[in-house]
Amino acid sequence: MNKEIIRSSSQKGLLFGIVMIFLVLINFHLMASTMISKLMGTNVLRGSLPEARFFIIFLVLYAIWVGWSAASREGKTIHKLFEGLFAGLIAGLTVALFGLLLFYMLETQTDIRKYLTALSFPSMRFFLLDMGELGILVHFGLFTLLGLLGSALAVGLRSQKVAHFKQGVKTAITNLRLRITNALPESVNKYGKYGIYLLLLVILFLLPTRWGSYYNFVFGMVGLYVILGIGLNIMLGLSGQFMIGIAALFAMGAYSVALLNSPIPHGLMWGFWPSLAVGVVMAVIGGLLLGLPIMRLRGDYLGIVTLGFGEIIRILLNSDLLTDITGGPRGVQNIQQPTFLGTPFNDVMYAYLIIVAMAVSIFLYYRLENSRTGRAWLSIKEDALVAQATGIDVQKYKLLALCVGAAFAGLAGGIFAARNQFTGPNDHTLMVSINVLSVVIVGGLNSIPGIILGSFALRGLPELLRELETYRLLVFGALLVFMMLVRPDGLWPASRPDLEEKGSPGLKEDIEPAEEGRSND
Amino acid sequence: MLKVTDLNVYYGAIHALKGISFDLQEGEIVTLIGANGAGKSTLLNTISGILHAKVGQVEYLGEDISNEAAQVIVQKGIVHVPEGRKIFAKMTVLENLEMGAYTVSDRQQIQDKMGAMFERFPVLRDRKKQLGGTLSGGEQQMLAMARGLMANPKLLLLDEPSMGLAPVLVEQIFDIIQDINQLGTSVLLVEQNAHMALSIADRAYVLETGNIVLEGDAADVMNDPMVISAYLGG
Repeated sequence: MNKEIIRSSSQKGLLFGIVMIFLVLINFHLMASTMISKLMGTNVLRGSLPEARFFIIFLVLYAIWVGWSAASREGKTIHKLFEGLFAGLIAGLTVALFGLLLFYMLETQTDIRKYLTALSFPSMRFFLLDMGELGILVHFGLFTLLGLLGSALAVGLRSQKVAHFKQGVKTAITNLRLRITNALPESVNKYGKYGIYLLLLVILFLLPTRWGSYYNFVFGMVGLYVILGIGLNIMLGLSGQFMIGIAALFAMGAYSVALLNSPIPHGLMWGFWPSLAVGVVMAVIGGLLLGLPIMRLRGDYLGIVTLGFGEIIRILLNSDLLTDITGGPRGVQNIQQPTFLGTPFNDVMYAYLIIVAMAVSIFLYYRLENSRTGRAWLSIKEDALVAQATGIDVQKYKLLALCVGAAFAGLAGGIFAARNQFTGPNDHTLMVSINVLSVVIVGGLNSIPGIILGSFALRGLPELLRELETYRLLVFGALLVFMMLVRPDGLWPASRPDLEEKGSPGLKEDIEPAEEGRSND
Repeated sequence: MLKVTDLNVYYGAIHALKGISFDLQEGEIVTLIGANGAGKSTLLNTISGILHAKVGQVEYLGEDISNEAAQVIVQKGIVHVPEGRKIFAKMTVLENLEMGAYTVSDRQQIQDKMGAMFERFPVLRDRKKQLGGTLSGGEQQMLAMARGLMANPKLLLLDEPSMGLAPVLVEQIFDIIQDINQLGTSVLLVEQNAHMALSIADRAYVLETGNIVLEGDAADVMNDPMVISAYLGG
């Protein structure tokens, strides 16, 4: 064993040990144990501690990770195993020393919660696995043994054989697919696509009636964000305008439907459909009014101004000044429902309405993207000067993009208000704009599947993670960070099937749409 | 064909062009040479309507176009190929050419034009489905010129087509400029590479800090002692 191996693995072990102590100091060990407990079906009552065995599960995973990451990628197997073992040993030693300290404090009843709120006696006892001094030994033993196990796993799973196996499975799947497609008659291959669409349609038709109102609500939210995302993508992805105030345009749609179709404050009862149309038109006007003064701005400055616009609209809606017109902070209540054959819309009907709106939006988006207008937008995004030199009226098309995008936002807003039967200033905060922006960026710019996936991931998942209560945002944040590391271009980046990848090996980098949103600078 | 009189252009408080007057006859190659910051690109941007003059006018085929928008000027037949190989990097070569013909509505004409471009620039045909940004420097410059020609220009404004290219490519580009000119397109060529520009141009103007300091037939300008010492390195 050379010194280098000992040095690096002891450093790793020390690092992991210190991180573990830090996690305990912020009470993360309790949080994580509670989460594991809930995931495994044992509920933890508020204010009480989970069982110690769930903490052991957390420790096991953590210690295996220590060994895994300590084992280097190259070198002899025996060295790797030693690295895991040694890192585990050091980490275990560090944690055990910390445990000893805690044990001492428990024995002497030293209360340091004044300084470190997380270190209450129950929490300390929990860290020692409710076993007192024995817990220290368990910690030490766990880390050492599992460090070794982790490195063994790393040796096994990173080996050539496993890589071959993975490759083999991949080719087998591709071969199978090819054989199936070849075996099928040509007509099936040709029309199979439509068959899948039909199946999707049937599923979309059946699901809302089957899965209950809660899932309809979540699904509706996802659908509305898809529409909003498409609207924003027209501004940001196609024409390259960094817009953060889309909540304002969303509000225009929502408030139009709310004010024109509710008993208070104006007593106007226009019905849902006319007010929805007005909502879309109002949003377009909003986009136009916003667009005119900001035509000369680009990049980050545009973002800041549009952000300001979004806030101005929200603050106006919230102000006492306009209470008589917009209902002020209390918002607008009792928005009337649209009716279908005389019966008011229920959650299933709303789900259908959103599906139809989504389908129409997607269809319009594809038509626009592949039109002359879409080309003009893309060229402006790439280089406004050259676009101008090729004879494109840059100002006109930029305004058009804002207006068309606003129409989608208005549509989503109108449906949103009617479905909730209520809308108020708090529905149109900056967070809405940022969420829509995240949906588009996380999903993948200029990619409809990406936007749909992004909406599910960002709007659907947090709802479904509600089981985890307080920790859902923690889990969600971790997922986001992980995703951006693994897929920086979005979950489902836009693809260019007609592309011929020839030329330099560095070509891939050139194609990757890095910093797409700012290519306008 | 093009007549510029007393053109004054400002960037805010900066006086970039200080009363420029020059003209270009149909069928000519006229070159504007000058150092960095002399105002060459500003002049082209003003002619093509991307910038607008505070004082003075641009007359094209007897019509005042000083206040027209860029897209109107393109339709009138003045096409600007901006400097620095400005192509649409994330569009394919084919799409770049289609963008060049944005003002042309006749599909058949676009197809014919595209064929002609592939004749003239065979390398673009080989690369037609590649993204513009993946082309080499010379190919990008050719693409930029081909894109300009797609709009059927009567007058082509070329801004430093030789910028950053190897000498052999520069010669190729200048041959193509001469070809284009012989087929009836007038060319206004802005260059720092004075030697190459003067060797293909009919007439030349020398621009210095917003003023024209010298004008005449290209051959005379090439022999001017001031030009030799300042631009030709003699």
